[in-house]
Amino acid sequence: MTADTVTADTVTADTVTADTVTADTATAGPVTNGAAVQVTGLRMSFGGTEVLHGVDFDVRYGEVFCLLGPNGAGKTTTLEILEGFRAPSHGHVRVLGMDPAAQPARLRERAGMVLQECGFPRQARVAELLDLWRTYYPNPRPLRDLLEVVELTEVRRTQVRKLSGGQRRRLDFALALAGDPDLIFLDEPTTGFDPEARRRCWAAIENLRGLGKTIVLTTHYLDEAEQLADRIAILRAGRIELTGTTEEVAVRAGLATRISFITPCALRQGQVPLPDGIDLAVRGPESVCHTSNAAMTMRLLLDWALEHGLGDLGGLAVTAPRLEDTYLQLTTANGDHA
Amino acid sequence: MTRTIRLAARQALLEQRSFWRSAEYALFTFAFPLMILLLIGAANVGSHLPGTDIKDTTVFVPGILAFGVIVAAYVNLGSKVAVLRHDGVLKRIRTTPLPSGAYIGGLLVSTVVTAIFITAATGLIGWLAFGAVPRPGELLALAGGLVLGTVCFASLGLAVSSVITSAESAGPVAYASFLPIAIVSGVFDPTFSGLPGWLSRLVAAFPIHALAQVLQNAYAARPFSAWDLANLGLWTAAGATLAVWRFRWHS
Repeated sequence: MTADTVTADTVTADTVTADTVTADTATAGPVTNGAAVQVTGLRMSFGGTEVLHGVDFDVRYGEVFCLLGPNGAGKTTTLEILEGFRAPSHGHVRVLGMDPAAQPARLRERAGMVLQECGFPRQARVAELLDLWRTYYPNPRPLRDLLEVVELTEVRRTQVRKLSGGQRRRLDFALALAGDPDLIFLDEPTTGFDPEARRRCWAAIENLRGLGKTIVLTTHYLDEAEQLADRIAILRAGRIELTGTTEEVAVRAGLATRISFITPCALRQGQVPLPDGIDLAVRGPESVCHTSNAAMTMRLLLDWALEHGLGDLGGLAVTAPRLEDTYLQLTTANGDHA
Repeated sequence: MTRTIRLAARQALLEQRSFWRSAEYALFTFAFPLMILLLIGAANVGSHLPGTDIKDTTVFVPGILAFGVIVAAYVNLGSKVAVLRHDGVLKRIRTTPLPSGAYIGGLLVSTVVTAIFITAATGLIGWLAFGAVPRPGELLALAGGLVLGTVCFASLGLAVSSVITSAESAGPVAYASFLPIAIVSGVFDPTFSGLPGWLSRLVAAFPIHALAQVLQNAYAARPFSAWDLANLGLWTAAGATLAVWRFRWHS
């Protein structure tokens, strides 16, 4: 297996420090088998058409979990079931130890929800609206804290209708955070945003993570999943294709590790035979091979280089399979553009 | 229970603030009835209802009181809820643990406050400009009529909000669905007559006519009609039933 292939450019998702986790948030909520969300054999049908065909995944406390998939894959439907807006046709769903369809009101005291395209009272001011929202919950977060987490302190007196799209979305986050929930659902948090607005939304989500909140988000943007998620589940046409960290997902998809180096002159001029047992392709200035066993391939390659006096192979690079490759393979190989 | 009431009060406070913040909306809500009161009232000064010594304005002012109640309760609440639903504000409320009773209650309390303001302004101007005042012995009937009218048209407003499919059509639908009946009910013209018999009987079945009658009777000391109260009660029941049955949190 190639799971132990360490590379320089591998994305490490766990670089965020947890130094801002405070005692009251870190211990929030009863631990139910260590999972904030448990989904087993979830099926959902609308009028005889099944849109979820047996979905399984767990979300651990304190992690950012991303449901990644193309439009129409069933991400929002899954989220609506977790949020208690829909009862599943079949399957077992537990959110913070509760059955969402049976106890929606209790769940909403402890789970914040950001839906797609949800309006605000147009004439309300930012701080005023947050203050009103705080009265809905038994243990609200302080107003100042809410404004700071989503970087809206400067516009706290502004009427909501005058905010930009990105500011509104961050206000969405703040409203979802008003009751100091253990878990936050974000449905496609940055769809349709320009790069700057997305970057600030991502920063706000990182702040939520810093508070120790468990976050479940859906997206069809790969870079968003890669940027934010500790773990990813790829949902396609109502099925979970793969679950794991970005690296694990790519490895489990059976994608090859890419090894490349600058083509030595001797090789380019045909003075050196190609190595045995390696599918090496000489593409002008670069030589490339793909392998499912990077360690063994590297050994063969370096032995071959030594044998033919090619030295350390300049520009040698080992690239783990990227989430993008996995995703594209899963969502396009079968001609699926749901 | 006290929590629900407290939450409803907070909600009503935000609704009232929002209402007065959208200055043109608040102004229009108030200006429409008051302008009609002053303009048509001025045209009727000095004339009396045919064959009586009752001044036209004595009947006209309570007609505008009814009109104001309908604008506040039916038009404002109905279009407001339609817009809240269309904008997804109702959907967002569903993501919180706020009891739905507290939310709807807050909207209703805010509606009642607006109705009280319009009623007070109309009554005051009717008194100062035209000397129209309710008969002292009929104050209870007047208050009862105003309360029942507000409740009735608020329930009809909630009901009509479910029929409105877009934010843009909310105001027009709300106004167009009652203005014609208000006109043929004689709300703007105390001497209005000449409808065919069957049509005036039909018009009398609507709550606009009934509310106007109840309030006009209190000003003109005409005999109180149990039928008008029953009419308002039945329309309240119908409106509330439809509102509950058809209510949706999302568009």
